[in-house]
Amino acid sequence: MESELANPKANQARRKLNVGPRSRGDRVFFGITSLAANFAFVLVALILVFLMVSAWPALQSQGLAFIYGSTWVADEGAEPIMQLGPMIWGSIQIAFIGILLGTPMAVATAYLIVFMLPSRAAKVATTVVDLMAALPSVVIGLWGLIVFTPVAAHWAQILNQTLGWFPVFAIEGEQPTYVDSPFIAGWIVAVMIVPIITSVTREIFSQMDSGLINGALALGAGRWAVLSRVILPTSRGGILGGVLLGLGRAIGETVAILYVLQLSFDINWYQILEPRGGAVASFILARFGEATPLEFQGLMAAGLVIFVVTLIVNTIASLIVNRSTRRVK
Amino acid sequence: MSQTLSRPKVQPWSQSSVASVRPLILASVLPAVFAALVGLLANLDFSVALLVIFVPLQALAAGFVGFKTYGKRGLKDAVLIFVTIFFSMMVMVLLTSVLVSVAVAGFSAMSPQFLSQNNVYVSPTTSLEYGGVGHAILGTLLIVILTTIAAVPLGIAMAVFLTQSNAKHKGIVRTVTQALSGLPSVVSGLFILAIMGFVGIERSGLTGALALFPLMLPTVARVAEESLRLVPSDLRLAALALGAPNYKAFFQVILPAAKSGIITALLLGLARIIGETAPLILTINANNSTNLNPFAEGIATLPTYIYGFLSSGYSTSQARAWGAALVLLLLVALLFGAARIMTRQKSLKTKSTKKAK
Repeated sequence: MESELANPKANQARRKLNVGPRSRGDRVFFGITSLAANFAFVLVALILVFLMVSAWPALQSQGLAFIYGSTWVADEGAEPIMQLGPMIWGSIQIAFIGILLGTPMAVATAYLIVFMLPSRAAKVATTVVDLMAALPSVVIGLWGLIVFTPVAAHWAQILNQTLGWFPVFAIEGEQPTYVDSPFIAGWIVAVMIVPIITSVTREIFSQMDSGLINGALALGAGRWAVLSRVILPTSRGGILGGVLLGLGRAIGETVAILYVLQLSFDINWYQILEPRGGAVASFILARFGEATPLEFQGLMAAGLVIFVVTLIVNTIASLIVNRSTRRVK
Repeated sequence: MSQTLSRPKVQPWSQSSVASVRPLILASVLPAVFAALVGLLANLDFSVALLVIFVPLQALAAGFVGFKTYGKRGLKDAVLIFVTIFFSMMVMVLLTSVLVSVAVAGFSAMSPQFLSQNNVYVSPTTSLEYGGVGHAILGTLLIVILTTIAAVPLGIAMAVFLTQSNAKHKGIVRTVTQALSGLPSVVSGLFILAIMGFVGIERSGLTGALALFPLMLPTVARVAEESLRLVPSDLRLAALALGAPNYKAFFQVILPAAKSGIITALLLGLARIIGETAPLILTINANNSTNLNPFAEGIATLPTYIYGFLSSGYSTSQARAWGAALVLLLLVALLFGAARIMTRQKSLKTKSTKKAK
């Protein structure tokens, strides 16, 4: 006893708290779980490596023109020219239209659910939005082709006839059909991304500090003032994260767009009512069936492009969403 | 969850009378009536009448009533309420349109033999009395179950890592998992195709199941993590304090407490992949007959069945696609309903324990 009292440092060293797994069972348990967790990295690396190796010959032969060029000739026998430019531009265009249409709908729905509906109705609405997120994209495509396209073509006709002087809504060809356009594909993408943006925004709205809101109300602020001065400034980052998640989904959307869009290598910069457009993911699926081995490498390269882009967009999005939910908490 | 923004009343003690509600009723009925009248008289298109006449009028009327009741502040509030309701209604209309058209068109294709028969000797123009989606239902279930066997244990292990361990790189793992949950489905299919090219595996049901695996894993991991997080840490700490090793604390205390949450993760993961089309088109050969061997030959699935019949463009083939879409949606709804019941039971349980305290 006395020696321990005389030498407190030695005592401290002996009684150091050990929090690591001690028993063999625990070591196995944590070993397995951390293996599983690291599998997330392994999976990303595997996807990158396999796509890159399969795509390498095509990327090497096409060079940078693969990204910006606009010719795709890959017939049997001839030297293939594979340039993805119009498809990449089309993906960006459609995602932009989808976000432009979808964000107001999604944010309004989240606002309605969190701040306007009584709690029981809010629960029902939340379930409905979640269900909407689970709608398979082939079903959306079926609906888009048969039910929505005629309606949207009608809207496109009205837009063209009233606002046709504006270059975005102009159509060059005679006797336009108004179908298969980036405009319709943008609407379909909006339907697919609204539930994602809504659920992220709803989460962030419902984690808002109610003290802030009640304080603003007590100071005499109305609904509009609370929204513009309290809710939006605190949740802006989170909403941006939700929009980015939606963007990732929009770029990766495949089947639904394939049905409602005319894929074309005649690049369509801004005339969104023309039946010419592009989408990288849909293009892969459309060409896959009849692809020659060389063209197949080009499609792999296209897959690599959307994988890298969506991985970057989604990582930024989840970083933003995580940070803003933590800060709001 | 919902915080109501109760609007401050001018006189909180005053009763609402007919006179005070009258402008509200007028403001919500008049613009609609006026827009309908003008639209009918001028023979305007419905969407034009809605957007050009009804929306501005309704916003104006709402703003006017808000202004009359609450002053300048009420004007902006009323317009905000109107805009919110308008955009949410758009979402509702789109969703209802999808669900109703699938239900109506799908129901007319539905019959007992549509659910039980397979697609042998059926061409796109064969009438609906012959053939069905029986083989596709079985194929979908088979492939989805194969994926589940691999993805659910791994996803749960990831969730355990994210909640129980004290490793330093948890944040990165979580971010990568979330980023993976946005993996485009066509990329997942191409990835498995690339592997198949190197290893030399033939297209079969198994490759389809593999192509769905990267899509299911992040969903399971995320939902399971959330449900494990809901288990009070007191339980785990108490088990550890009693001398239980971590793995016993997990299997005997945490897992039973989070059981319904784990099942929810399984169900939502299933709902995520059951309708995936692109990876299956890339990695599975179609098949018209029933095939329950996942290691050889093609397998039919509901999404690829829809895809195939919709691509051929005849009205009978479209009717088949609608029928299969209804079956697919019913499966998704079934999974969702089961998940809902699971989470409800959980919340009841936690409520009752709270009361007991």
